[in-house]
Amino acid sequence: MKKSLIIVIAIIAIIGILAAVVAGKYNGFVTAEEELKSAQSQVGVQLQRRADLIPNFVATVKGYSDYEQSTLTAVTEARAKVGKAQTVSEQETANTELDKAISVWVNAVTEAYPDLKANTQYIALQDELAGTENRIATARKDYNTVAQKYNGKIRKFPSNIIANIFGFDKAEYFSADDNANTAPVVDFG
Amino acid sequence: MKKFLRTLSAFVAVLLVLLLSGCEEAKVKIPDPTERFFINDFAGVMDEKDVEEIYNIGAALNTAVAEKLSKDVGAQVVAVTIETTEGEEISEYALNLGRQWGVGNAEDNNGIVILLATEDREVYISVGYGLEGALPDSKVGRIIDDYGYDYFAENEFSAGILNLYRAVVREVYSEYDLLAPENITAPENHSENISASSIIKSWLGIIVLIAILIILSRRTGLFFFLSPGSRGFGGFFGGGRSGGSGGFGGFSGGGGSFGGGGAGRGF
Repeated sequence: MKKSLIIVIAIIAIIGILAAVVAGKYNGFVTAEEELKSAQSQVGVQLQRRADLIPNFVATVKGYSDYEQSTLTAVTEARAKVGKAQTVSEQETANTELDKAISVWVNAVTEAYPDLKANTQYIALQDELAGTENRIATARKDYNTVAQKYNGKIRKFPSNIIANIFGFDKAEYFSADDNANTAPVVDFG
Repeated sequence: MKKFLRTLSAFVAVLLVLLLSGCEEAKVKIPDPTERFFINDFAGVMDEKDVEEIYNIGAALNTAVAEKLSKDVGAQVVAVTIETTEGEEISEYALNLGRQWGVGNAEDNNGIVILLATEDREVYISVGYGLEGALPDSKVGRIIDDYGYDYFAENEFSAGILNLYRAVVREVYSEYDLLAPENITAPENHSENISASSIIKSWLGIIVLIAILIILSRRTGLFFFLSPGSRGFGGFFGGGRSGGSGGFGGFSGGGGSFGGGGAGRGF
């Protein structure tokens, strides 16, 4: 009689502790997931910032008769895609495309109109663009750090059991595409 | 009962595993700040006079903004010279340095890092989140063009850093609606092409300025020494981080963070 009572109490205690641990872990996952979301949205904010700079760029260059229309179309199209991107991989694809389009267009314009390099407004926009690239790279790296922590949390034994039960998925990383991450330093040498 | 105890101990072991989860963080090979927190001449290109002046300007700014905000750490502008970033992007190096040192205070993120890599021939100014409004990237770029570029192109690193430092600090003063001290209100505008006569003129100006600054900095130095609450030097510890500071000034970062804002130039 005495023995069975102890066992019952022990089982209840174990269930209680287990529930507390599971709840604690679960809450930890939720917090980590929120951090992850905020880090991801930061990337989106910076991508949008860059997309918003493009019209300014176009306006500045407009004075230069027929600025490279064909390459500009690619920029406009890529820009539209950034606004629609939802997931990490979509953001990444859109970002890479816009990266390429912008650099092709900027190169075409500066080649066609070398005196643009002396235009202060153009220089200012180049700086803003470069700074935004930096912010994007930073936001992505910060996101990856958060994602790494989150993934580590949900994949380590025995947390992974709890994470599986509640359906916490592994976070995607931004791949370290060196070309996309390096911000251009404007050189007027 | 024994069996039960065994399961219990196994359970406790699992609990311990659950609770012990390490978090690892990657570290970058960035040097620790020197004792003169505001100017760190790792490349060895600065004149002693300029170093002292920058230190005094930086310390005065930190104190003035800290008083205005009623916080331990004010706005911090930190100048760093290195030889090379060893292949890393200078923008990234500057950002990591700012974050690692915690330049600026943690609530306002009002730190700025001016980084010169003499061998790479690049300069970059990284701006903390809180000052991005006062110093947008385009403005930072223009400041480098106007106040630093020509010096650096001529290998006048020490004078270039000093001039750039003054210009940046001025912007920070005006962001906080504070009156900048006289010694930095009229920085040398060096954007015009250097001709022989203008070199002489600017040198004359610099010499006069330095003379004034020495007097002024001595005075401010004295104020520091006498200001209440500070036990001689070393009474000005920053918040969050504790650095290996001692002797000279005892300033350190306040935990400010950076988001990638700023601008740079190759020269």
